Amino acid sequence: MLAKLMKYEIKATARIFLPMYAVLLVFAIINRLLNPFHTFETQGTFNLQVLLGALSTVLYFILIIAVFVIALVISIQRFYKNLLGDEGYLMFTLPVKPWQHIISKLLTAVMWYILNGVLVIISGFILISIPEIDFSMIIDTVKTMAMNMNFAAILILILVQLAAGTLMIYDAIALGHLFQKHRLLASFGMYCALYMAQQLLLSILILSFSFSWFQFIIRSTDPTPTQLNKFLIFIIIPGIIMGIVHFIVTNYIMNRKLNLE
Amino acid sequence: MSSLLECKNLSKSFGPVRALDKINLSIGRGRIVGLLGPNASGKSTFIKICNDLLTPTEGEIFINGHKPGIETKKIVSYLPDKNYLNDWMKVSDIIDFFSDFYQDFNKDKAYDMLSRLGITANQRLKTMSKGTKEKVQLILVMSREAQLYLLDEPIGGVDPAARDYILDTIIRNYNENATIIISTHLIADIEKILDDVIFIREGQIVLSKTVDDIREETGKSVDSLFREVFKC
Amino acid sequence: MPWDLKSDRPIYAQLIEQLELRICSGVYPLGSKMPSVRDLAQEASVNPNTMQKALSKLEEDGLIYTNRTSGRFVTEDIDVIHKARNKLAQEQVQEFLKKMIDLGFKYNEILSVINEMLKELKK
Repeated sequence: MLAKLMKYEIKATARIFLPMYAVLLVFAIINRLLNPFHTFETQGTFNLQVLLGALSTVLYFILIIAVFVIALVISIQRFYKNLLGDEGYLMFTLPVKPWQHIISKLLTAVMWYILNGVLVIISGFILISIPEIDFSMIIDTVKTMAMNMNFAAILILILVQLAAGTLMIYDAIALGHLFQKHRLLASFGMYCALYMAQQLLLSILILSFSFSWFQFIIRSTDPTPTQLNKFLIFIIIPGIIMGIVHFIVTNYIMNRKLNLE
Repeated sequence: MSSLLECKNLSKSFGPVRALDKINLSIGRGRIVGLLGPNASGKSTFIKICNDLLTPTEGEIFINGHKPGIETKKIVSYLPDKNYLNDWMKVSDIIDFFSDFYQDFNKDKAYDMLSRLGITANQRLKTMSKGTKEKVQLILVMSREAQLYLLDEPIGGVDPAARDYILDTIIRNYNENATIIISTHLIADIEKILDDVIFIREGQIVLSKTVDDIREETGKSVDSLFREVFKC
Repeated sequence: MPWDLKSDRPIYAQLIEQLELRICSGVYPLGSKMPSVRDLAQEASVNPNTMQKALSKLEEDGLIYTNRTSGRFVTEDIDVIHKARNKLAQEQVQEFLKKMIDLGFKYNEILSVINEMLKELKK
């Protein structure tokens, strides 16, 4: 059932993402052809070609930001509209448990975030594959990065933050659903409250452990890789716990407090 | 379990408002039942509880021996009183969707009914009129070989010809092992196809009889009786 | 022939009458196969359950019979049909007479009214 839900979730969202990715890649190719860096170096002066090149580069960066913003907006919209709007009548009468709805949407949202990242990297490669930069050099850099134990920890941290962050949004929407009127406003308010509470908790946590474990924060010195790793893992765990808490609350609300219009 | 749907002291409150008040019901198989009452009488609340879209405040409800949940959703086919399909979907998409999630969904039947209305698989829901969309929803619901069909106001806000089509579809899909509960306040059109009627007012059941018994005992149509009972 | 179902009398009873009417007037000819319960119910826009009950009663009365494999048929016994037709006629006449009496007509007045109307019909 979970796989089926994800299939439809991906189908519903791909219609937005795939064209967007196509545009991104096209832009990267355009930028590659216009080749602003190279042009500026050879021309040395500021003329129309350079201006056009600079403009398209700026647009390219705006596009990258837009891609991530859209991914965020869509993850919110899918949850809000598909589960708690009129479509909820269809979704919640399927022979499926509410947790499956939550997880299918979560996994799809995170998948798109990851794909976003991959697409940005690919478009980046298209953009900067100019003769000046050595391709094999890049590969080596990436290899050494991957060897670093912190790299794995950072990757996991990013993943956990994406999932936990999304779950917090779902939680806020679910909590907002408990209100009879102005649900959207209530969800927004709930999100602010949850965010502040989370930040507070995290700060207290880090601060209280800084004295014993993470001296480097207090002393403002550079951490060793092992210390950094410990720190990263220390941040990951509350992230996982918060994610689980948000999931449990959201699941409970959908099981017992559902009240579609 | 002999009766398909069974309620014991079922109640639902929304804060201070008592939408359903100690409902006791027992509905058998192979019946076409009319759940009749004015607006805000509790009809929709009752149907939502049957579908596990609302949790009861008190009391119990069993469908085929199970509390509303996954087991009941597999055998209950629900037509809500609103447009609940995603507009961008094509007819073929939505049929695949239903086939995927409901084992008892009969694809051929659905396509057959749709083709009779001149609706093709490639049409997008967005391009259809409101009336056509409602018919599509009805067809999807009736194409399931379910044990309990819950139709919430299926003929409200539709033209008379469409109304006939809907009643026709209901009759044609009748199966003596399944029960159909139709909630409505438009009684005259639907009286003839009902076996039993349940009058509900302010969350309580006021009357529960067969159509013919009512006509025999009172010499009136159910519609007339309804007007009397629910006179403002 | 349209199905004439009034809203203030039990549907079951009316269906029996309407089916009898159709059999007697030859809409469902002698010995012919009856449409299925579902088709009949659809035609009349009634609950298949009720139609089923009405058909069972007709079977009880001998107007139709069920062949296990091939379905429902109108009886081939013309006497049964005649009997049913007469019964229907008697019921109609009884209703008519009651109304006439309510209107204040006397016996021979009723007869002359009938004769007049029959003459009109012949034209």
